Amino acid sequence: MKIRRGLAGAGVLLGLWGVWKLATTVDVHGLVRLPLWLGGAVLADDFFLVPLTVTAGWLVTRWASRPDGHRTVGTIRTTLLYVGITSLIAAPLLLRQGKGPNPTVLPRDYLRDWLLLEATIVAAGIVGYFIASRSAGNALRPATSAVVGRAWRGLRRVRRAPRCE
Amino acid sequence: MKLPAPPTEKSFPSSLHHPRVATVIGRWLGTAVVVCFLTGLYSHFQQDTPGWLPIPSRPATLYRVTQGLHVLSGTIAVPLLLAKLWTVYPKLFAKLPWPPSRKALETMLERASILVLVSAMALELFIGFLNTLQWYPWPFPFRQTHYALAWIIVGALLVHIAVKLPLIRANWRRIAEIVPNSLPPAISGLTRRGLFRTVAGAAALVGITSVGQSAPALGPIAVLAPRKPNIGPQGLPVNRTADAAGVTSVDDNWRFTIKGPQELSLSLDELQQLPQSRSALPIACVEGWSQGGRWEGVRIRDLLELCGAPAHSRVRVVSMEKGGFYATSELPEQFAADPLTLLALRLNGEELALDHGFPARIIAPNRPGVLQTKWVHRLEVIA
Repeated sequence: MKIRRGLAGAGVLLGLWGVWKLATTVDVHGLVRLPLWLGGAVLADDFFLVPLTVTAGWLVTRWASRPDGHRTVGTIRTTLLYVGITSLIAAPLLLRQGKGPNPTVLPRDYLRDWLLLEATIVAAGIVGYFIASRSAGNALRPATSAVVGRAWRGLRRVRRAPRCE
Repeated sequence: MKLPAPPTEKSFPSSLHHPRVATVIGRWLGTAVVVCFLTGLYSHFQQDTPGWLPIPSRPATLYRVTQGLHVLSGTIAVPLLLAKLWTVYPKLFAKLPWPPSRKALETMLERASILVLVSAMALELFIGFLNTLQWYPWPFPFRQTHYALAWIIVGALLVHIAVKLPLIRANWRRIAEIVPNSLPPAISGLTRRGLFRTVAGAAALVGITSVGQSAPALGPIAVLAPRKPNIGPQGLPVNRTADAAGVTSVDDNWRFTIKGPQELSLSLDELQQLPQSRSALPIACVEGWSQGGRWEGVRIRDLLELCGAPAHSRVRVVSMEKGGFYATSELPEQFAADPLTLLALRLNGEELALDHGFPARIIAPNRPGVLQTKWVHRLEVIA
């Protein structure tokens, strides 16, 4: 308990130091607008990026209920995730290219490079998909569409069942 | 028409929304945050050195490494933060405790600390990355806000660790866990180990495709880096162009002045007649990019000797640039005395390009690029 209190106390002090630095180095105009940007960052994460990932994951998992889908779902999910995260990082580069005054900032052809990167990730994903499919064909595990379908239906029944709370 | 019910904590079937998964990814994210914070603190102290902290001039490439790590750790923190938020996402829909109680108050405080942590970290990573593009669309000063938010993040992180310490300990001690009612890996196709591999792979991918701006060997594949090695005048990128600094040309009758016990005034020809030294040093910028260059010029300590000042003197460097935070800089005594520190006149075998500070600039070991003052026309011995 002492450790937890010590950590929490140190954290509060460091945080207050940061607030003090903000209050003494940023003018009122900036300070008033900063909470809007902080709120915007939370909205972008919690109400756009993460829901997008959750929804994509849910759709991919639904897709995995087809015969032998569960064997290749990992490859598809990883490929989508890598395409998504690299595109997220690339977005500011693509938006800003050619707009700044300094030609040594953003000197590449970022559209071409981004397309090449995504094509490479997708190509690696396709190779991974076929390797996973082939190894699935050779495997002796008895997971079939019937088994997977039963498990899905079972889970949905469990979650629909009234809870005794 | 009946609207669908809003999601609850139980609406997310994946077994990977689990405290142990959050703990492991949290450990990775925490490591990235600590590296980013410490290297950022070092960069801050380089630019705003407190009197009690002597910063050494060696190792010569230290700042190149620390600032490269700063930007790299910040970049790979993006997928780690998203993975962490994904793992704990169902908690966002957990019911608020009711009726009011001590437990309810603790929960509310914990949520408030998480809100501070998430908002500050997301904004910090966002403005940090855009700064590497020299893009500032926000209405507050970058450097001051970035520095203050860093302290707030570390503070909120410590509070978060204090709150979650029992869970973290349970993870390390591997206490038996309750099996969640969720989709088994046989269907979802993703085990915890698989998720960790995927997240580590995402972090490695963004790292490898961006670190080439600091490590030129990986430059050709740095497709997500805002800088490319070898692009720029004399094969070296530029942070502030001569045009942006208001230095459009240099007169033929340009003279360099050094003011110490004696005041000397030298033309460019006279500077070139002085003993020339060579230093192979990188320009390492606060935005994370860095590249080595072969510099030639006059050692600062030789100039100090010429004007009768001791080798260990603090020196104010005055540029011809108009405005900006870095029109003057200060060379602490250990940097002025270092034999690698030059008033550089040449770069990579040629006279300096105007964008690189023609006719003379400072180049010193273990210094941020913003303090390697360009277009120097005056040195003043302070003490």
